Amino acid sequence: MSSQTNSPTSAAPLDLSKWRKVPMILMIVGGIGAVAGFFVDQHQFGFSWLLAFMFFLSLCLGGLGLTILHHLFDASWSVPVRRIYEHLAFLLPVMAVLFLPIAYLAPKMYPWMQLVKEHTPDHSIKEKFPLFTIPSFYIVAMICFAVWAFLSYKLRYWSLKQDQTGSVECTRKMRRFSAVGVFLFAVTLTLAAIMWMKALQHEWFSTMYGVWYFAGSMWITIFTVYSITALLKRQGPLREVATEKTFYYIGSLMFAFTVFYAYITFFQYFIIWNANMPEETFWYLARENGTWFQIGILIIFGHFFIPFLTLLRIDIKLSWIMIPLGVWAWLMHFVDISFNIMPVKHPQGFVVHWMDLACLAFIGGVLATVFLKYLNAHPIIPQKDPRFAEAMDIYVGDQYVEAATARGIDPKHGGNK
Amino acid sequence: MAETPQVYGIVAEFETPAAAMHAAEKVRDTGFRKWDVFTPYPVHGMDKAMGLKNSKVGWFSFIGGVTGYTSGMLMIWWMNAVDYPIIIGGKPMFSPFGAFPPCYELTILLGAFGALGGMLFLNRLPRLHHPLLRNRRFALVTHDRFFVVIETADPKYSETETRKLLESLGSKHIELVEE
Repeated sequence: MSSQTNSPTSAAPLDLSKWRKVPMILMIVGGIGAVAGFFVDQHQFGFSWLLAFMFFLSLCLGGLGLTILHHLFDASWSVPVRRIYEHLAFLLPVMAVLFLPIAYLAPKMYPWMQLVKEHTPDHSIKEKFPLFTIPSFYIVAMICFAVWAFLSYKLRYWSLKQDQTGSVECTRKMRRFSAVGVFLFAVTLTLAAIMWMKALQHEWFSTMYGVWYFAGSMWITIFTVYSITALLKRQGPLREVATEKTFYYIGSLMFAFTVFYAYITFFQYFIIWNANMPEETFWYLARENGTWFQIGILIIFGHFFIPFLTLLRIDIKLSWIMIPLGVWAWLMHFVDISFNIMPVKHPQGFVVHWMDLACLAFIGGVLATVFLKYLNAHPIIPQKDPRFAEAMDIYVGDQYVEAATARGIDPKHGGNK
Repeated sequence: MAETPQVYGIVAEFETPAAAMHAAEKVRDTGFRKWDVFTPYPVHGMDKAMGLKNSKVGWFSFIGGVTGYTSGMLMIWWMNAVDYPIIIGGKPMFSPFGAFPPCYELTILLGAFGALGGMLFLNRLPRLHHPLLRNRRFALVTHDRFFVVIETADPKYSETETRKLLESLGSKHIELVEE
């Protein structure tokens, strides 16, 4: 029923030839800035890099999470956009390389590492033994990247394999990897959020921190997927397959994760506020200093209320407003990650340092280049996915069911017998 | 009362969802207003084929939700800060943070009431009887038949013309239903 939006004349493709060099320019300019930053002030560079790294890591992990969820729910509607998820997820091996500056600078950035090195670990570090030891920091990083690289590689490998063979076995493989993967994903994501962000103030603890990072990751990734899908539809590749339904469902997920993020973020605050214990409240007190207070308010309104009220209506989910909203979401996610990392470096208030921008430009440029390479190298959609006809609202007639039954496949159970 | 029974409308039976959908599109384009389609299961795309707009139920739940949230906040503020102030844990008499969880739940509760009440209000349920229930063939609507019903109350209704229209759309059984 989306004949209007599907007609080839709906909107002419944009001329993007001028923009093709943008990732390369970002990479070069950002790279120069980052290298200069490294030599000017390693401490500031470390924090700027960590900020940019955690920002983009959430995008890659969100891609992995969405791929896993797609398989676990045996979803049909997201088949046309799944390749975008898979490519985003497979940026994780690149992130492993981009982690090297953090690995190198960690002893300077994380106060707990200095305490351990000086053999004066405080009670809060001892209680977290053996996680908060220097070897553990590196082992955790290796485990996380190994798991992410493995899962994102396998999920994409079998998906690409299916493009050629069309075998239902590929779907089963992806399902199995997802079933195991969802647990590995939850554990590694939580470890990463704890070790790389929360450990900046190691005395603090919040059992919701991993979930908080997950919620933000999924949120920003879905907003990004919407914009990428809209662009690919406009430019042609997804014109016939990304329908109104696709956009409506992505929009609904955006709405759901806007609420979920707010729920997690609020209750982390609320539980600490309610218990009113100094070993927890200090973390929020540091974030009421100077302009950090206003940033906190901005997150409440900009990260929750604005997207929430905008996404309430059904028709908005299909309108042009979604694109500026996606840009706004990137801004809010940046502010949110900054709110979590930067008060350690800049306790007096919110600062956008030039090194922040350089690191963001560099990592963003690298990831965009690799992502575009992936997009060009592989079919834009999972071509022979068994759920594809269903995603396109095409009714598969009885003759196919009979043919499947004749081949010993039970068509009623998604090909599984 | 020996009045001649009033005619409620005209019922046309179709055998496939596609035929019913096609008929609905035609009826919509002819400009009828008081008519409906009955199917044994939800038919995707029927809303559009009938020219139905998005349901207004959302507004009822929105208003319910806003009412729940504000009344919750007001209630807690009045009880804790005005009517019976007690200091607990050195916290302020009223704080939106502490009051939020119950208000949030009231938002959901009254939002759900709004959705349920709004739905019942808009579709005029529950009702004890509907003229269509007296029609014998109409019982097949819970089995495998699809019905398009046009009410006599529709300004465009005319017994001969409407019947011709429905016949031209491929309906094999067309009946008048009495009030």
